[in-house]
Amino acid sequence: MNFELLFKKAKERGIEDIQIYLNERKSLSIKAFRGELDNYSISDSTRLSVKGIFNKKMGSISTEILDDSNIDFIIDTIISSATVVTSKDEVFIYEGDKEYLEVENLFNSELEEIQVSKEISDIFDVEKLALSLDPRVDKVEVYFEKSSDSVTIKNSKGLELNKKTNSAVFAVQSIANENEETRTAMDFLLTNNYENFNLEEMAKASVAEATSKLGAKPCKSGKYEILLRNDASADMLATFSSMFSADQVQKGLSILKDKIGKDIINKNITIFDDPTIANNSRAGSFDDEGVATKKKSLIKNGVLEGYLYNLKTAKKDNVKSTGNGFGGGVSTTSLYIENGDTNFDNAVASMKNGIIITELAGLHSGANPINGNFSLQTSGLLVEDGKIIRPLALITVAGNYLELLKDVTEVCSDIKYDFSGTGSPSLKISSLAISGE
Amino acid sequence: MLDKKVIKNILDAALTTSADFSELFLEDTNNLDISMSSNNIEKSGNSQVRGAGIRVAKGYQSVYGYTNNVNEENLIQLAKDLAASFQGESENIKFELEKLKVGEAHHIEIDPRNVSMEEKSNLLVKANKVAREYSDEISQVQIRYMDSSQKIWVANSEGTFITDTRIKTRFTVVAIASNDHDTQTGMTAPGGNYGFEFFKKVENVEEIAKESARIAVAMLHAEECPSGKMPVIMDNKFGGVIFHEACGHSLEATGVAKGMSVFADKKGEKIANELVTAIDDGTIANEWGSATYDDEGNLQEKRVLIKDGILTSYMIDKINGKRMGEEATGSGRRESYKYSPTSRMSNTYIDNGTSTFDEIIAATEYGLYAKTLGGGSVNPASGDFNFAVLEGYIVRNGKISEPVKGATLVGTGSEALLKIDMVGNNLKLAPGMCGSSSGSIPAGVGQPTLRISELTVGGRKEEN
Repeated sequence: MNFELLFKKAKERGIEDIQIYLNERKSLSIKAFRGELDNYSISDSTRLSVKGIFNKKMGSISTEILDDSNIDFIIDTIISSATVVTSKDEVFIYEGDKEYLEVENLFNSELEEIQVSKEISDIFDVEKLALSLDPRVDKVEVYFEKSSDSVTIKNSKGLELNKKTNSAVFAVQSIANENEETRTAMDFLLTNNYENFNLEEMAKASVAEATSKLGAKPCKSGKYEILLRNDASADMLATFSSMFSADQVQKGLSILKDKIGKDIINKNITIFDDPTIANNSRAGSFDDEGVATKKKSLIKNGVLEGYLYNLKTAKKDNVKSTGNGFGGGVSTTSLYIENGDTNFDNAVASMKNGIIITELAGLHSGANPINGNFSLQTSGLLVEDGKIIRPLALITVAGNYLELLKDVTEVCSDIKYDFSGTGSPSLKISSLAISGE
Repeated sequence: MLDKKVIKNILDAALTTSADFSELFLEDTNNLDISMSSNNIEKSGNSQVRGAGIRVAKGYQSVYGYTNNVNEENLIQLAKDLAASFQGESENIKFELEKLKVGEAHHIEIDPRNVSMEEKSNLLVKANKVAREYSDEISQVQIRYMDSSQKIWVANSEGTFITDTRIKTRFTVVAIASNDHDTQTGMTAPGGNYGFEFFKKVENVEEIAKESARIAVAMLHAEECPSGKMPVIMDNKFGGVIFHEACGHSLEATGVAKGMSVFADKKGEKIANELVTAIDDGTIANEWGSATYDDEGNLQEKRVLIKDGILTSYMIDKINGKRMGEEATGSGRRESYKYSPTSRMSNTYIDNGTSTFDEIIAATEYGLYAKTLGGGSVNPASGDFNFAVLEGYIVRNGKISEPVKGATLVGTGSEALLKIDMVGNNLKLAPGMCGSSSGSIPAGVGQPTLRISELTVGGRKEEN
């Protein structure tokens, strides 16, 4: 599409300022099942988002129709969608910052050079290895996906920014069967450096985890000391991450409202939002509005330091945008709880009568970011006198996320990131309510 | 969108190696989403989705590619690239495309694209007013209006050539009630295969708003739900999400074909209480999960999954059908051209039984009445499921008693099906969005009020 023509026509129609966001994406995904390719998928797609200010209101459209013949429809839609807005919030097209961070490793050209044949032979090798480790694991699904994105922002105030990112993920899902019982476990890694994949370790971890769950039953209901494992803790943090959004705070939908500068959780917890960690598509030196990003602590030693802002919410609170304007709203980049210094095995060994939570299910429905409450299906391991006794399933854990973070007694040194780039080390929590038998 | 001859050329280009099946999926979709919060229309977003997906298969092995560059040259190149994944000589498959069939099972009266933005935004303003007037405790109301028109074309090397337009409308009201101690949410979100007549003939936005506000306020004054195993009565409409999550997913060929479902190889066996008959029906007029054709170009069907407790049918797509040696059941669905289709539910429900609502409550000495359910999830291999109760009440001595909040139900699908011990006669359906390997698609759920004799309820009430 001829963007100069789009900008010119928009101006003629009374659109004060206009910005385009163009995302070109290529991807490859492959899946192995029983020594055959179960899925092989390639793609090449481009999405254009355009927003413009008409009568002081923002209108927007997202489209995959990129020929010039669509320009009039784009402009009509921006005008009609701006006209319907009644909110008096000030809106912006940004002229840009003086300086932007240098973010390294967003794009690794070596990843692009790896041949599909190598990736396919690797997934077959992992499947074969995983199937050979334990007779109870008779099915394994191995998944590989690689994608590269190229983003361009351009606006009528003269701003032009570009970034290129790529990433790959390997996931090994093992299915273990014994006595009519089926348990599954998945191990995965997201990176843009192919050498980081230790496929043998992933196969072993996935098989060990699936078989360790066999024989899982509920435990007695009650209060238990909890070790919330890194992956489960990261999933939970991601679920509650909207509490940091200034948009949610301003709408009265965040438990962190009016809490800046206050001790809200345990001193041993520090939480960062860091755009320099290249583990998600929002990593990089600028956000979707063209604002420079930065690493910042949201909670430092238990004290709430700030919220995440885009241009609109920042103006409302009279602060600067933190560079978290993504997808038309406010979003985290890589949000994580900083590592502590407890070794995971020592954290287990020092538990008297507790539960290691290894998996939380139903986070989208059983956790409420508005009040912090959760009641979630859980799998885990029962620990007595520092020893893992047996696996647990079909239990629920309930509580409130801020209370949970208040009750953290130890922070481990084993940070792990989930698919969304949210990370956490394992956390030991003095007590949580478990419902089982 | 493309000429028939061009489509044929693309399908042929995909068969230049030993593949025995090729398919072209074209899509042209327009979505509108208007949202309101803090008493103002905040945003209106319009999105256009247009592209093509090509699938090439040999037996049950398939490869897929998609692009939004839909010119002939690019699509032929994509078809050839995909064909190159198969070794060997061409099978020389000869076929002709049928005359284009046009899906017209679900009639739309008012195309939402012909309705003004003002008329649409007035609905939000009206609903906001009603929800806020319901009670002083309503502190925030978030409303979304959505309409979409998805036009698809499917052509394949078996000669199939169809087009289907799916027009959908949905309206969501989330009411939030707060006081000094707590914040609670109530939500109602009806939708269907309707145009704008949905708001004139089927639903009333004021009623939707009032219902959301009622739930939020009721839950603000509720106690925390107790924990433990107990009988659970699930109400009709969205209560059907239990069957969707706990059993429906495990009856999809995606898992069954690979033996990765608890219900694999169980056809003809008793998997549920004999009171249970369960159906997946993509033909119900204007229902949320209905369509004339599925996304593989087959006519949607009514599938009886469980008859009087006996497993009678799975939901099967083309490729998994080949793996299983069974015919596809018109169950191939996908979110968009960016996904290869797989077996998915349409409108899935437990059929009417004979008990009345009052009889079910009266027959329960102690238990949980889950009046409104939230979403949930299931592990299809183990069958373990969970779902959230948005609005719950304790039943004591056969009467609905105090409201309770914050409950989650967990169980195993195969056990829960056998433990359904009362089935009501008030079947109703409700819309939901269902996520799986072929993306997020509209799926209807439903059931009459029913009772499960025992489920684990996880609540936050402190034990004494």
